[in-house]
Amino acid sequence: MRDVKAITSNLAAVEMMKVEMLTGNVAAAWAARLADVDYIPAYPITPQTEIIETLAKWIGEGVMKAKLVQLESEHSMLTAAGTASLTGARVFTATSSQGLLYGFEMLYNIAGWRAPLVLVNVSRGVAAPVTLEPDHNDVLAARDSGFLQFHAETCQDVLDLILLAYRVSEDRRVRLPSIVNMDGFYLSFTREPVHLPSQEMVEEFLPPYIPTLPFRASRPVVKGASVLGGHIYTYFKHNIHESMRRAIEVFEEASRHYGELTGRVYRPVEGFYLEDAEYVLVMSNSFTTMGKRAVLRLRDRGVPAGLVKIVMYRPFPSDQLAELLKNRKAVAVLDQNISPGMGGIIYQEVAGALYHQRNRPEVLMSVIGGLGGKYISLEEFEYIFDVLQHPEGRKPNTPLFLFRKDELESVKRALGLAGLGGEMG
Amino acid sequence: MLKIRFHGRGGQGVKTSSRILGRAAFLDGFIAQDSPIYGAERRGAPVVSFTRISKTPITERGFIFDPDIVIVMDETLLNDWLARPLEGVKKGGAVFVNAVSGFPPPAGHDDKVFITYDLTGMALEIIGKPIISSPAAAAAAKITGLISKSSILEATAEELAELDLKDELLEKNIQLAAEVYDVIPTPAINTQESEPITREVSPLEYEPVTHEEVIHLDISNLGNSALRRTGNWRIFKPIVDPQKCTGCLVCIIYCPDSCITLDENNKAVIDYDNCKGCMICLRECPLRAISSVREVRVYA
Ligand code: SF4
Ligand code: SF4
Repeated sequence: MRDVKAITSNLAAVEMMKVEMLTGNVAAAWAARLADVDYIPAYPITPQTEIIETLAKWIGEGVMKAKLVQLESEHSMLTAAGTASLTGARVFTATSSQGLLYGFEMLYNIAGWRAPLVLVNVSRGVAAPVTLEPDHNDVLAARDSGFLQFHAETCQDVLDLILLAYRVSEDRRVRLPSIVNMDGFYLSFTREPVHLPSQEMVEEFLPPYIPTLPFRASRPVVKGASVLGGHIYTYFKHNIHESMRRAIEVFEEASRHYGELTGRVYRPVEGFYLEDAEYVLVMSNSFTTMGKRAVLRLRDRGVPAGLVKIVMYRPFPSDQLAELLKNRKAVAVLDQNISPGMGGIIYQEVAGALYHQRNRPEVLMSVIGGLGGKYISLEEFEYIFDVLQHPEGRKPNTPLFLFRKDELESVKRALGLAGLGGEMG
Repeated sequence: MLKIRFHGRGGQGVKTSSRILGRAAFLDGFIAQDSPIYGAERRGAPVVSFTRISKTPITERGFIFDPDIVIVMDETLLNDWLARPLEGVKKGGAVFVNAVSGFPPPAGHDDKVFITYDLTGMALEIIGKPIISSPAAAAAAKITGLISKSSILEATAEELAELDLKDELLEKNIQLAAEVYDVIPTPAINTQESEPITREVSPLEYEPVTHEEVIHLDISNLGNSALRRTGNWRIFKPIVDPQKCTGCLVCIIYCPDSCITLDENNKAVIDYDNCKGCMICLRECPLRAISSVREVRVYA
């Protein structure tokens, strides 16, 4: 471990921050450790397990003080997480894909209970077919549950966004749980340098969580009571929605504070080479790094390309997004997910955000790629920008589906092996 | 369109009543719609169901807020602040109450016809159980003045057969429905089709108010279930015979509402404000020290 100066010019007290080679999983574990979480209910699933193993090791060694319990399923895990959070414990947990879906109904409960825990989802395509590699159908399924969602591009983002998530979730103006998403393999098992804020910094940034009317053995309280009436139900749902909308502002406020301490400032949506960009790609998560590389290449060739990264997916920063995208010539939304029969999920939300924007881009194109972790080559990214520059003749409501010819050849060989015809059949 | 709302308690057959009436109307060539609404299922808890009968297609669904006819299957519901069975009954409409004896219309309701009849007594006599789905439906059918006797009996047979009732019980229910149909009068119902209210409104009336703070879905009001007296749910009342009671505590353990205690003589005492009449204590008492009598109350 070596010390480097934090990469910022205007840090008042220039903190010495440790930099370490960490996987996304270990970065997540570090965030939980720095946040001084009290309780970690767990259930193993690839590619998330390393997070829990790391925390278990630290707790075993005595360098971290928390209670880690392995439950018998993700459903029990999330139930334990939510209820523990209501006692006033700071709760951390993690899952992935089928695991998230197995515990799914509890997501809505945890949000309705106003239990501000943080759940890390390590994205993995949802079976069938079975895969271990990432796409975002798993995390986007939780879109409407009342969890805030933050999507990480780098292992550094994983650590920082978890700390930010605790701060925003526990804020009295929000009091809703968060999901921090990282891509399986591309982040979870990928090591890269990560700056670790000091414990003092995190303590200053993250005040203790003070629960509202916590569970106590000496004082029973009902949480999440049944209401049996549409109007009472609506009243509470509306309040969740309002709290969620407030979270954008609370996040920006927290992020400014985090920036003062660490030099790293996050925005709900972030631009890359946007200033004079005419052709813009909207995307999120780890593949964004590859998208940025394509933008740089195009810039070298004189193409006014740019990129918008969605960091905060719930609440959806519609206004901020519309502001960044106005006056552009053409915009593509890359969805690493698919809603069969419709297309890309985030595309629809971007379209909704832009509808009322004056000077909205004339072309808004949906692109689907990276399903099940399918690699998106530089050429494919460049192809997206080619189409954006020459959209003539494309059907507006038909997504551009990234799938290369050589990949088709490979599929054919696999089909042959499976005895389903094809070249070797 | 004629709208009928049934109010009763879980276990009385409220949902089945609305279905029998709905099917009878259907058999008589009307367009009908029937539906129930209830919360967590619990014997004795208030239940409500609806039947709409029309000659033209029905463009409504769900709760009936402005019934032409209300059937109150348990008179104690008249006092229930949650059930509020008389709420919204149209002027000129009819209210049927299952009660042991008649009473004058409650204040503010003298513009409606009130009919009372002891359906429970009749059900106990003929079928031996306080289940009144078929007689309540028959009463409602007769009050509408639209439904033929043959249709209500056919509908009763079909609906109860769907519930897998034994033939003997089915026969008795049909007999019960027929007798009730004959004895209940058809009042003149002088209601108007309700018009949607048109008035100047501020949009705020239709949109939620913004809250600057988080509203937690918590109940911290300790022990507030005591505010909800369940004593008026009883159709039967358990009576402890102190001569037989040995104070063995069995009934105390089994009572789901914790309303039995022992007195200074070690005899079981029942808190009738909260005893809901489930009769579990009667079944569990090893000394057979508990008997039951029909609860008779007169609404006033
Ligand atoms: S179960 Fe019977 S004998 Fe025992 S306490 Fe109750 S009433 Fe008395
Ligand atoms: S009938 Fe008996 S068991 Fe049931 S509530 Fe009353 S006292 Fe309790």
